[in-house]
Formats: sequence, structure tokens, C-alpha cells
Amino acid sequence: MDLQVKIGELSLSNPVLTASGTFGYGIEFESFFDISRLGGICTKGLSLLPRVGNPPPRIRETASGMLNAIGLANIGVEAFCKDKLPRLRELGATVIPNLYASSVEDFIALAERLDREEGIAAVEVNVSCPNVTKGGLAFGVDPVAAAGVTAAVCKATRFPVWVKLSPEAGRITDVACACEEAGAQALSAINTIRGFAIDTETWRPLLANRTGGLSGPAIKPIAVRMVWEICQAVRIPVIGVGGIASAEDAIEFMLAGASAVQVGSANFRDPMASMTVLEGISAYCERKGLAAKDLIGKVVLD
Amino acid sequence: MEQYDRRPARQVTVPLVRRDSIGASHHVLTFEYDTPLEAQAGQFVMVRGTNWGQSPFLPRPMSLLHGGKRPSILVKVVGEGTRRLANAEPGDLFSVLAPLGRPWSPCSSHRVPILVAGGVGVCPLLFLARTLKQQGIRPVALYGGRSSGDLVLYEELQAESDLRLATEDGSAGVKGKVTALLDEALMEADGRATVYTCGPRAMMASVVAAARKANVPCEVSLETVMACGYGVCLGCAVPRFDGGYVYACSEGACIDGRVIDWKK
Ligand SMILES: Cc1cc2nc3c(=O)[nH]c(=O)nc-3n(C[C@H](O)[C@H](O)[C@H](O)COP(=O)(O)OP(=O)(O)OC[C@H]3O[C@@H](n4cnc5c(N)ncnc54)[C@H](O)[C@@H]3O)c2cc1C
Ligand SMILES: Cc1cc2nc3c(=O)[nH]c(=O)nc-3n(C[C@H](O)[C@H](O)[C@H](O)COP(=O)(O)O)c2cc1C
Ligand code: FES
Repeated sequence: MDLQVKIGELSLSNPVLTASGTFGYGIEFESFFDISRLGGICTKGLSLLPRVGNPPPRIRETASGMLNAIGLANIGVEAFCKDKLPRLRELGATVIPNLYASSVEDFIALAERLDREEGIAAVEVNVSCPNVTKGGLAFGVDPVAAAGVTAAVCKATRFPVWVKLSPEAGRITDVACACEEAGAQALSAINTIRGFAIDTETWRPLLANRTGGLSGPAIKPIAVRMVWEICQAVRIPVIGVGGIASAEDAIEFMLAGASAVQVGSANFRDPMASMTVLEGISAYCERKGLAAKDLIGKVVLD
Repeated sequence: MEQYDRRPARQVTVPLVRRDSIGASHHVLTFEYDTPLEAQAGQFVMVRGTNWGQSPFLPRPMSLLHGGKRPSILVKVVGEGTRRLANAEPGDLFSVLAPLGRPWSPCSSHRVPILVAGGVGVCPLLFLARTLKQQGIRPVALYGGRSSGDLVLYEELQAESDLRLATEDGSAGVKGKVTALLDEALMEADGRATVYTCGPRAMMASVVAAARKANVPCEVSLETVMACGYGVCLGCAVPRFDGGYVYACSEGACIDGRVIDWKK
């Protein structure tokens, strides 16, 4: 079965990746399956220094999904390079570090640090985290700011740069075009959508951070719509994320125009979720006698 | 921290083979495995019905009562997920991820284990009592609840331990909180106690405080919301005494009680 897809110059063995923040640093899955089988692994968002994250409660299940306000807890880029990356290389994983910073300078420093490493396929710039007070979303909702970060990171690294877009931008296609213009090789869409949940007994927010990012099947139709719109606005590949829990979900994103997909929250309920999606796509292509890339953007509109 | 020989977790789809209801709100569910589940006392599962569709979206964490060919859990109904579990019928299929979490630390033979349980916190402690019995150790167990109806599985616990009960309404055992029984048990153990506790947060906080006063070790089994149960969502953070957080699913569930900031 020909499952290969191209993301810019990068060729992936198949279109199934795992979404940042839902797959740890990848090696947590070593005992579940051979992680080199994935098209790629987007790591937990990495910052220059380690971050402890937000106070609990950090997560709350909601109808067909969940709210989270983790606050980008992570071990920091240095520990990632020292303690995680060597093992990921040994395992033959396709690694896409996801980057978070609250200033352009820190984004540059992050990209430069990773540039000294081998075994990185691309970097994914997160300009769309809704759960931190500085940076994050501020870059993602403003085309000029997003382009600024993109250009700076592109200059600081030899790796292809992907930008992870926020659904909260007034017009996500404006941000998408600005990032393309600034040198992004691909766009990932979408990050979570801010939500709010209140305990009706105590009248208090259910998350300590008050609001949190909504993910899971609940956001899938919004994500598919945004991916479709972005694909019409840009020429670079788009990677679809949001509520993917089955091969059909993934195929929907590809028909809308996505060149690849990321499985996110579904990993929480089943560590094998990404493999189930991959095997389903493979079976689907077999049945249809198609290569995976033949699905991209083939939605019939007449 | 000591190293444990922890089995990697496996995700399996297994049938429910028994549901034993204890009143309306407590249910013991027993699953059937093809190859036995090798679990240690204090470990837990993430369980979700294969017929749940998209909601509830996530599996639910439940302590194991024991591993083996037919592992079982005790479910107390508090919301939608536990209601679904409670309504399951033999033959229904579940995806179960297990064994998860850090188990209880072993108890050395020259110490006196004191198990302090509140409500469904009894589950990991019953597993511990059964394990200790196999080592020829009979622990002291203290079990409390609001009324006698909360003291589920107390007979099973009694079979493995020197059991003392407490209820707030006096319907079983002494009237009052289970922590009232602890001072006496600590005194009897004369500095040789090792305390293991699981139950409501406030109860565990006072158990940890009492153990600290008596200068004896105390492990707690943490309860938090969890999305994944295996260390990747970072949703199960519990504040540490020195700032920062521990992750209940991977650094716990069983952990030294002094590590936790009980004021938060
Ligand atoms: C390691 C671990 C072991 C556990 N072992 C057991 C067990 O052996 N038996 C058992 O009955 N329960 C156990 N629990 C608690 C159980 O996981 C929750 O009660 C369950 O997830 C609630 O799901 P729900 O859909 O029914 O409730 P929800 O609809 O999710 O919530 C209903 C109500 O319960 C509260 N709640 C939700 N989750 C928890 C929680 N983790 N602790 C306390 N209150 C909660 C909510 O705030 C809400 O008020 C354990 C939890 C953990 C983390
Ligand atoms: C708990 C959690 C943590 C996340 N952390 C990050 C992160 O660090 N960086 C990032 O770019 N996206 C992060 N995301 C967003 C996901 O990568 C993904 O875009 C989003 O969850 C939508 O996909 P899903 O519905 O399949 O989960 C996180 C999502 C969740 C649920
Ligand atoms: S429950 Fe996901 S990290 Fe602990």
C-alpha cells in the first residue's frame, strides 16, 4: 500500500502523526508499539526552560471531548535533547519538536538549540496555546505577529518549519497566508478552542485556570472546515488536527485538503489509537485501490 | 526513589464476566483475561466500555482489587462513567489498560502495617492486605465511612486483617472518624508502624499528619481526575510540598505522603 505523503521537501512514510501534548515525548509509547511506524511524532511543547505548568484541576471531560489547561508543563529543550532525543533516534522515530516561547528571542534560541541536533524531521511552532498568560495565542491571532515568529524561526534553523495555527484567529486564513509568506513549509491546524465549564453545585469554574482548550470529537467539524478553508488559501501542505479518533475521521481531513493528520486526545483513551487510524487508512486505500496521497483535497463539490 | 519491577501496561479488550452489586451504588466488576494480568497492590486500570461511543470520551481510573485471570474492581456510582460501568452486563466488552501506576512499597517483616481506608479507598488496601497475607503478615486495618452502608467489602478486609471500623453516625464500629482509631493503632505499634492510606483527601491529610507525629512512614494512594493514566496528558498534577507537582498516574498513585502539599 502506498501511504507516503510529502510535507514540503519532507517525505513521510504515511500520513498519521501524533499531536503535540497528547503523546508525551514519544518514548512513553515504546512498550505499546513500534513508534517508527508513525508518519511522525509532534512532541509535547518545549520551552527554553522547564515549566511546571498550571495548578490543578487541569482537565475536565466534556461532551465528546475534554477541556485542558496544562499550561505547557515540560522538561525544557535541554533535557529533551539530552534525555529523550537519543532514544527517539535509536527507535527510528520521525521527530517533530513542538516549540513554545513567549518572545521572538526565545523562539529563536529554541530553534538554534535544536538546530545543533541530528534526527529532527521538522519543527512545529506553537503560536496557538490558549492556556498561558504570555505568548501563545497572542502570536497566533495576529497575522503580523505570526509571520514575525515564523520568519525568525526559519532563519534560526535548517529544519523545515511548520506553524500550528489557532482556531481563535479572527480569520485563520489571514494568519495562514502570513505564515506561508514568512517561510513556513507547512501548517498544522487546529489547536484547541477555548471553553469554560462551571460546577453547578459550587458555582466555581471546574478548571483552576478557569478556561481551558477544548479538544476531541466535539471540535472535529470545526477543524475540518478550517483545514478546508486554509487549503484553499495557501499552496503549502496543511496537516489536519482536531478530534480524530478513527480512520474515517482522518480521511475526512484528507478529503478536505490535509496532506497528513495528527491524532490527539484519542491517544488518551487508547494508546494504540494512532495505529488504529493508520491501519484503517491502509485498509481503506487498499479497498479503493488508491494511494494515500490520492485522497488529498478530493472532496466533491458540485 | 526505589525501583520496582513494574510490568508495562497492556491495552486489552476483555469481557465482563460478573457484576456483583452491593446495594444500588457499589458494584464489583470482574473481567476475564486470556493471559493473567500481573498487577501489584496499589496499581490501577483505565477502563472504558467498547460500546460507549464518543461520550463518555475518556476511560475511568479504577483501583484493582486483585490481578490474575479474573481481575476485579469496585465501582462507586458518582457520575455518567461510573453509572455506565454499574449498568454493564456479563458479556459486555471493555477496553482495559493495566497495570498502571506505582504500587504500594513493600512492608518489611519487622514493621506493623496499618491500613487506613475511607469509602472506596478500601480497594487498593484490600489488594494490599491480600498481598501481605501471602507474606504471612496480618495487618491492622482501620475502615471508616459516614454510615455502615459505606463500608463495602469490609468482610473481605476482615478476613485478611485485624479490622476496626468507624462511622460518623455510629451505625457500625466506633462513632466518629476513622482517624480517631489511628492514634491507638499507632500507639500499639510502638514506633514500628508503616501506614498505608487511601480515601478522601481530608482524611488522608490527617493520616499523614498523625504518621508524621508518630515518626513512622506513610504512603497514600492519590486520587485525581485523569485523562490517560499513563503519563502523557499531564492532567493529573498534584501539588508537591516544595512547589511543583507530582503526576498521580506515574509518580503515584502510591506515594510517600510527605511529598504532597496537603494545604492546597
Ligand atoms: C488511581 C485512581 C483509582 C480510583 N479507584 C477507584 C475505585 O476503585 N473505585 C471507584 O469507585 N472510584 C475510583 N476512583 C475514582 C473514579 O475514577 C471516579 O469516581 C470516576 O472517574 C468518576 O467518573 P464519572 O464519569 O462517574 O463521574 P464524572 O461525571 O466524571 O464526575 C461526577 C462527580 O464525581 C467527581 N469526580 C470525578 N472524578 C473523581 C475522582 N477521581 N475522585 C473523586 N471525585 C471525582 C466529579 O467532580 C463530579 O462531582 C479512582 C480514581 C483514581 C485516580
Ligand atoms: C492535554 C493537551 C495538551 C496539549 N498540549 C499542546 C502543546 O503543548 N502544544 C501544542 O501545539 N498543542 C497542544 N495541544 C493541542 C493538540 O496538539 C491538538 O491540536 C488539539 O488537542 C486538537 O486535537 P484533538 O482534538 O485530536 O485532541 C494539547 C492538547 C491537549 C488535549
Ligand atoms: S493521567 Fe495523564 S499524565 Fe497522569
